[in-house]
Amino acid sequence: MLVLTRRANQSIMIGADVVVTVLEVRGDQVRIGIDAPRSISVHREEVFRELEAANRAAASPGSGALEDLAALRPPPRR
Amino acid sequence: MTISEEVPELHFAGGLPGFPDVRRFVLVQLGDETSPFSVLRSLDDGVDLEFVVTHPGLFFPDYEPEIDDDTAARLELKSADDALLLVIVTVGDPVASSTANLLGPIVVNRHTRAAAQAVLGNSGYATREALVHS
Repeated sequence: MLVLTRRANQSIMIGADVVVTVLEVRGDQVRIGIDAPRSISVHREEVFRELEAANRAAASPGSGALEDLAALRPPPRR
Repeated sequence: MTISEEVPELHFAGGLPGFPDVRRFVLVQLGDETSPFSVLRSLDDGVDLEFVVTHPGLFFPDYEPEIDDDTAARLELKSADDALLLVIVTVGDPVASSTANLLGPIVVNRHTRAAAQAVLGNSGYATREALVHS
């Protein structure tokens, strides 16, 4: 891993399009600003990893389960 | 009209988290037309992948996710009416224990069929919300 030391209001460039700026350092929290093209999605890692795990768990359920699921209906509206 | 009739084929330009290289999907109704579920099946060569999806409003009437500007821009959504929202179901055993992923809804542009899985960080929504509350 590349390790760089930066102060508040200093930035790092990743390629020619992505700029990561340290906005504020307060105690054990760091506020970071990211300028990136729309084609690059930016997420908190733990949230993205959770979605990856959820998608893998949901992928390609067995056909028997699908048959049973097809009979499930939403609860009636109150 | 069922969702599979409305948007038969979807294109995920950025793939899905965990499946970044899968692009083209077809929506197929699961069971008869009274079933609230559809199957989202990959059309990509050599990919054997499918997900069960449903309209979140049927099971979670209070679900009102805020789609971030970048997702809306990427899908060229101009108004909320352009968007169709689906959620991925993790099928449980028994099926009554199935859950829906409300943290990462699938957003579809009804007109272009461009689709993406949104990531609702800080929303308080979970990836495993029970479909049926006992």
